[in-house]
Amino acid sequence: MKLLLNLVRKDFKRNRVITTALAVFLILSALLMAGGLRVAGTMFSSLNGLDELAMPPEYLQMHKGTYDEEAIENFVSSHDYIKDALTVRMLNVGNANISYQGETLEKCLMDNGFVVQNQGFDYLLNMSNERAVVNDDEIGVPVYYAEELGIQVGDVITLQGDDYSKELRVSTLIRDAQMNVALASSKRFLISPTDLEEISGHLGEWEYCFEFLLKDGTSTAVLEKDYMDAAMPSNGVAITGSLLTMLNALSYGLVAFIIIAISMLLIIIALLCLSYIIRATLAEEQVTIGEMKAMGFPGKSIEALYQIKYIILALMSGVIGYLAAIPFGDFFSASVIRYCGQGTDGWMQWVFPLIGVMLLSLMVVLGCHRIIRKNLKSTVVELLRGQENIKKEGRYSLPAAGLKHPNRVMAFGELKCKWKEYIVIFLVFMTASFLILLPMNMKHTIENPSFITYMGIGESDIRIDIQYSEKLTQQKETALSYLENDSEISKVAIYKNGYVQSQNAAGEWEYLRVESGDESVFPLAYLEGRAPVDGQEMALSYMNGIALGKKVGDTITVVYQGQNLTFTVCGIYQDITYGGKTAKAAINFDEKDVEVYIIYLDVRDGVAIEKKTDELRSLLTDSKITPVSAFIAQTLGGITDNMSLVERAAIAVSLLLSMLITIMFLQLITAREHSAIAIKKSMGFSNRDIRIQFGIRILVIQGLAIVVGTVLANSLGEVIFGCMLSSMGAAKITLLVEPLTAYLLCPAIQLLVVLFTVVMGTRTVRNYHIKDQIME
Amino acid sequence: MLKIEKISKSFKALPVLEDISFEIKKGDFVAVMGPSGSGKSTLLYSISGMDSISAGQVLFEGVSISTMQEAELSRFRLTKMGFVFQNAQMLKNLSIFDNIILPGLVAKKESAEAIRKRASALMKRMEIEEIQSRDIREVSGGQLQRASICRAMINNPAMLFLDEPTGALNSGATDQVLAILEDLNREGMTVMTVTHDQRVAARAKKVIYIRDGQIAASKEFAVRADRERELDDWLREIV
Repeated sequence: MKLLLNLVRKDFKRNRVITTALAVFLILSALLMAGGLRVAGTMFSSLNGLDELAMPPEYLQMHKGTYDEEAIENFVSSHDYIKDALTVRMLNVGNANISYQGETLEKCLMDNGFVVQNQGFDYLLNMSNERAVVNDDEIGVPVYYAEELGIQVGDVITLQGDDYSKELRVSTLIRDAQMNVALASSKRFLISPTDLEEISGHLGEWEYCFEFLLKDGTSTAVLEKDYMDAAMPSNGVAITGSLLTMLNALSYGLVAFIIIAISMLLIIIALLCLSYIIRATLAEEQVTIGEMKAMGFPGKSIEALYQIKYIILALMSGVIGYLAAIPFGDFFSASVIRYCGQGTDGWMQWVFPLIGVMLLSLMVVLGCHRIIRKNLKSTVVELLRGQENIKKEGRYSLPAAGLKHPNRVMAFGELKCKWKEYIVIFLVFMTASFLILLPMNMKHTIENPSFITYMGIGESDIRIDIQYSEKLTQQKETALSYLENDSEISKVAIYKNGYVQSQNAAGEWEYLRVESGDESVFPLAYLEGRAPVDGQEMALSYMNGIALGKKVGDTITVVYQGQNLTFTVCGIYQDITYGGKTAKAAINFDEKDVEVYIIYLDVRDGVAIEKKTDELRSLLTDSKITPVSAFIAQTLGGITDNMSLVERAAIAVSLLLSMLITIMFLQLITAREHSAIAIKKSMGFSNRDIRIQFGIRILVIQGLAIVVGTVLANSLGEVIFGCMLSSMGAAKITLLVEPLTAYLLCPAIQLLVVLFTVVMGTRTVRNYHIKDQIME
Repeated sequence: MLKIEKISKSFKALPVLEDISFEIKKGDFVAVMGPSGSGKSTLLYSISGMDSISAGQVLFEGVSISTMQEAELSRFRLTKMGFVFQNAQMLKNLSIFDNIILPGLVAKKESAEAIRKRASALMKRMEIEEIQSRDIREVSGGQLQRASICRAMINNPAMLFLDEPTGALNSGATDQVLAILEDLNREGMTVMTVTHDQRVAARAKKVIYIRDGQIAASKEFAVRADRERELDDWLREIV
């Protein structure tokens, strides 16, 4: 063993650069693998912990307007499978009435509700994950606002009405198992019962959440059906625990998913590099191996001799990767920890990455073992004769007209003959380009205004939400009469949203959110079919199509106000809002059944959207007015923030990857071509010429790899992105590319980084003295 | 033509060449002999600018090559010097013919057509025209060494350096190569070769014997039929 370790030490000294680069590769793979799993472990632990402590409902039904309290109580007592029930009174206060540091929350998309701490379950927790307690004149603010607006403990939130003003001091930040994520469009503020009563006398509209915990093994669909059959209050959205879990997983899990995906790619690349290096090393050593075999060394001893180095490397990389993954994973877990706390299953963040690096190390060791065994199969004579020397390489011809650019001709000629040697480096450059572009394109797509079409609506400039209230119709009329007479507005359309009941594929009844309005004003690209054109047609969201088992051409029967309405499914569209389950049809909802009116409008060319938004806000004070770009940014803000982190990490990893492979490859290739370098030098090629030739070869390969990587990022990336978003309701995504960045800036940076590495890495050419090479 | 003034060379404080001076005139044929490890190949590479020296200077046609920058020296070697090595060193990915014309095309002293014509003429003279399009692994050692000489001659160098040019050849091939070298020298080419082989040295007009990095002896030989015996006697005397 001591002898083996001595040999490893000597080998390391001799191949310092290659071994170091390989070690960095493996460490990076282990780091990303362990880091991704640590993020995943932390996420599971945090979400579980928050669920255990906050006890969110398994089913909740929002309702605006009055309701029969006794009917609810009877419903709960008559259904045994309901473990516990709660009616939460939430005072919805308009964003214009809430201000922080002199500015109202009008620019925020969120609906803000004021509540008191619940009893029994659905607790709002403080930052220590204990049930939050606030006194009079104090307020608990959702973590979301601490992150988005920088609200801190000690700050003051002011509520203002026409002749009313109240200051509340922020005493704690709130973790809310239901409404933490940006994807949830409502946020809850915690205040004292006294304050809630006081404020409700001046501001806001009451909204009720009927929340239920079910006994083990009961499906939420059973409750949903019974709830509807009993005609319980339901003027609002119904949310199941599984939808909340999905929203959380999407918001926090995306980073872990992408990091793990990147680490998988890296592992494949690391194994490819290992294979290449082992083959190159063994090719150089075959005479020595032949001599050992001739002397009678057993095959297993020779295998052990060459394998020990890679076992040590794999183990060392695993340990370093695991340790480095602690701060790395924690950095990417910061968001989930901030929103959900450390959780109750802390072991996951230690055990998951441990299993990951162990598997990785095992994979590397087995991979090396296989490659080495395969390469040691040659006979003694084959080894001593040197198979590499008798292997014929391709040939290229010099142009008959002479050499205008000798270095270019030589580089391209040699590339033509030795292209197989460049496969690994090509794959790495391609992966690097892919890794840079994929998160970048995804982020760009989400941030683009046209992403709104994946939210079930056509492209527009401004969105106006008129939520249910006692004066809903009046607000709508005011808004419309103003907008129709505003010459700065080019297009306007109003949609009313309400609920009908429909039967899913399993025969269970559930609520269907239907949007009713003129679908031709802001047309939407349909996956299949088209928008409804008359009262007989209904378009379904992609997820609803699946859940209801309907295709274009099928008929669908829904129940509204006890009446069966039959429609023909005319189109399927993508929508990631409301859990992906929406529909469009011309249903004439009663004003009392309208949950919300949404008005979309386009401003004329030259009119600034922001300015128009401000103007409308000052005129239509009861409505929520949001530029569509801000609507997307706020709804998907959490995801895009995480994407930005991943994007930056991917750029760093990819550039590092490109540098490492270039260094490693140059070391191997210059060593392998030492005799050709010497011959060229003896013929009169300068060091600079030879370095230029290496540079051209590598940059040409990189150029090709960038093209392929870019095409893959656009095509395969679309599939990956589609898979990620299909659980939200968008199955077919068109990635939007920012051409200047994707096609010019990114390739230029990658090429520059590699060019710099080539300049540094080919300095070794100077050390190849002709005399040493030729006299060898 | 080539003036070597007190050159020394050391590897990590170990002297390999010490205080060596001699001169090679135009049209000379100089052979450097000596036991293994005496420094004779180091001498050849040092004075041809392929390797650096620790002290002294080398003047080629009055110009010091010891102080030239790497790029300048490369160009100098390309246009003024020709090299032939023990194991004919050629680029694997080019045909024999392309290997021969490559230095000519890179030097760009003449048109591509003129270079091709001269390469063909040189190959014809060396009696290897039939291997023009062959791969370097498809020819014999003697043919490859003659092709190396063609390549060394493609830019009409002022001087030809050879390192054990017959070391890897059989007897027949050795005779062919030696005859060519003698012919070239007779036509005015200055030749310097390092060799173990007395048959090679016997074709030289001057023999320098190196021992422990120093010139132990040197002697000029007249072109005579029995100079191989004369060389043999001289070597016995100094060894």
